[in-house]
Amino acid sequence: MTALHEADASDVRVKRRNPWRWLRFAVALIITAIVLVPVAVVVLLALRPGINSTSHALFTFANLSNVFRTTQLTTWLGNSLAVTLSTVAVAVAVAAPAGYVLSRGRSRAVSGYSLLLFIVQSLPVITALIPLFILFAKLHLVDSLFGIGIIYVGVSMSVAVWMMAAYMDSIPVSLEQAAWIDGASLFGGFYRIVLRNSLPGILSTAIFTYLVSWNDYLVAIVFIRTQTKYTLPLGVETFFQQNVIDWADVMAVAIVIMAPPVIVFACLHRYFSVGGIGGSLAGQ
Amino acid sequence: MTSAAGTATQPAAATTPPRKGRAARRFDVNRMTMLGLVAPSVLLLLVVNAYPFVDAAIESVHNGSLIGSGSFVGFDNYRSILTSGEFWQAAEFTLIFTVVGVFGSWAVGLGMALLLRADFPGRGLFKVLLLLPWIVPVVVSATAMNYLVATPSSPVPSLFHALGLGTPLFLANPTWARVTVCVYKVWISFPFMMLMSSAALAGVDESVYEAAKMDGAGAIQQFRHITLPIIARPTYISWILMIIFCVNDFPTIYLLTGGGPVSATTTLVVLAYRTVFGNFLVGPGVAIAFLMTLTLVVVSVVLYRQIRKAAFQ
Repeated sequence: MTALHEADASDVRVKRRNPWRWLRFAVALIITAIVLVPVAVVVLLALRPGINSTSHALFTFANLSNVFRTTQLTTWLGNSLAVTLSTVAVAVAVAAPAGYVLSRGRSRAVSGYSLLLFIVQSLPVITALIPLFILFAKLHLVDSLFGIGIIYVGVSMSVAVWMMAAYMDSIPVSLEQAAWIDGASLFGGFYRIVLRNSLPGILSTAIFTYLVSWNDYLVAIVFIRTQTKYTLPLGVETFFQQNVIDWADVMAVAIVIMAPPVIVFACLHRYFSVGGIGGSLAGQ
Repeated sequence: MTSAAGTATQPAAATTPPRKGRAARRFDVNRMTMLGLVAPSVLLLLVVNAYPFVDAAIESVHNGSLIGSGSFVGFDNYRSILTSGEFWQAAEFTLIFTVVGVFGSWAVGLGMALLLRADFPGRGLFKVLLLLPWIVPVVVSATAMNYLVATPSSPVPSLFHALGLGTPLFLANPTWARVTVCVYKVWISFPFMMLMSSAALAGVDESVYEAAKMDGAGAIQQFRHITLPIIARPTYISWILMIIFCVNDFPTIYLLTGGGPVSATTTLVVLAYRTVFGNFLVGPGVAIAFLMTLTLVVVSVVLYRQIRKAAFQ
């Protein structure tokens, strides 16, 4: 499960006097520096005085306050937050029990469910979007944040269920069996024993769903029409199309949409793992 | 799905110790519980994923619009797209984009995972920093890429010019645009492959390498004959997932090139999107998406069965 931190402990013993350490450091440094150029560009341009500015300061927050003043950035930020947070909450609430069934059930039906999840995962979102657009038009869910929230939960469901199942696989069944002996029901075992001990799995699923909905562009561009209902990616793109010249303002908007996922990941990365997906896909 | 999910509970019921009441009743309660736990996700999958898939099949044999379902036209939509050069060009680039995306990101991701497995100063920080391309929203990185390469006076073309390599038009020349889009996709995707590879490598027992060293195996031999076979299964899974991610990818291409210049970087997804929401030809657009979906489902189910077979052996 712990993709990022597993090997740390075992490496302590070889820490001293390894001549390769600094070479590896140098290689990693160079590669990371090249890889991060596009990210660095956004940060640097956003924090430097724009072409219309007379300021010669090295760093400025003028671009940031400028785009907050002159665009609907606050509205877009609010829309993105509302959609994303509800998506995460609903996705976890739906995926956790399904993950439990996938993790504990051992029969043909569960294999069938697992295959269904896999096929659904491979269906292109674009194929689903066109019929959903027609359906949602009848239900007045086009141009609605609620409508795109439903789709985000749907498209992230497969991976979310796999992630929950993968984590729950690491919780011994004997814990539930003990609870059953003490008179707990199947649901009681799931709720009190497995779910209570699944916080890392829940966080992993939440981070994944968060990234899906926060970063989405395709669903939003198909379904959202009104500017006041734009999510951040749509806002950024529209703003970019209208302001191709003034990179400082464009990048200031970009940094607003980039910062939350980066901060969330910086704080919670130790809980995040995609490695378990492999296990639950292959059926252990 | 309903009856199928019901029988899923048999093992759980079997491991549940007898409680008060008759066995049959307990079995039913557990079965209903399991059904209840899985039901919301099944409902969602049916509405958001399965229903549109069926509806897409129906739309693809009609000449409808976004507001009306139109009349039945048989396989006319399929005939028209299969005979259009645009479709085959998009299919070709989808294949190139997917192959480069999958193997490029795998090679870089595995390489970085191997590098980060050994100990060196600041390793933990590098692990997090290298995930950034995957975490940063595509809208943001596409904007940054535009700044870096879009015009002849952008930083990267200027660098090429300064190095005496000419001034390639990274987004305006069809070949260069394809290269740029593929490189950009590898940049976005390698962190995912790095995470998958790291997880796979963490399961490899170090003592195997000690034994191989005793037998005089070099680093390359160790990699080929120990590392690769051990991580084979997780690797196949990561390839399948990445194939799906690449074929279905829309924003990477659309936000960087819009599918141009002259359709050079148009993939099937972009073509389907443009056909439906640009030209308002719902039937043909859905037919493109549906053909793509069928191919993808067949390919991934075949690969998936292969893995499960390997897993149970």
